[in-house]
Amino acid sequence: MHATEDQKSKDFFELTTEPLDVGAIARRVVPETCGAIVTLDGFVRQFTKGRETLYLEYEGYEPMALKEMEKLIKQAREQFEIANVGIVHRLGRLEISETSVVISVAAPHRRAAFEACEWIIKELKRVVPIWKKEVYAEGETWIEGESLKTKGKR
Amino acid sequence: MKVQVLFFGATADAVGTREIEIDLPENAKAENAFAQIIGKYPALKQHSLLFAVNQEYAGGEEPIQNGDELAVFTHVSGG
Repeated sequence: MHATEDQKSKDFFELTTEPLDVGAIARRVVPETCGAIVTLDGFVRQFTKGRETLYLEYEGYEPMALKEMEKLIKQAREQFEIANVGIVHRLGRLEISETSVVISVAAPHRRAAFEACEWIIKELKRVVPIWKKEVYAEGETWIEGESLKTKGKR
Repeated sequence: MKVQVLFFGATADAVGTREIEIDLPENAKAENAFAQIIGKYPALKQHSLLFAVNQEYAGGEEPIQNGDELAVFTHVSGG
């Protein structure tokens, strides 16, 4: 596992090819001052626009992805009243319904945690250099995301 | 000067390799480097591309130094 952890807080951002334990990841972000954690469990969808996916392959530009994940945590802290954030993205081959990304946000109050979690996943899908290849019975395709310029702020 | 260029996902498939080294004139900018790469691999033109220099998103004006790590990739699709 490629891991970077800020020892001063409970923030973390990681890439791994191992299966993700959502509950365990969520528990790592909890300080005593918090009353809520919001956790996104993003997983592999079987049907996209009516087409059946057999499995996915994720590839990352790992050192840059970790840098961008670290920036997202910093930016989220500047905008939302949150305590800690954990982000773990899986790479490699993932089967249907396996978890690909976990984002856990701990906050004193739930509203900020929900808002920050939503903001982080939107930004992650826009800026973190990770790509997914959908493999179908009749072929495969690398998914290309939306333009950086058209959504949100950097 | 020599720089390393990395490709990922769709761009790695388009160029048929994950890593090349290219030669650039002194004082080259990112736009010069990327024009050379796209000239070498026209299949890249079929994609909307993003560029990075030393693991940071880069615009065309970014100055390039000997030994830099460049990357060419499509819009990201993680999550």
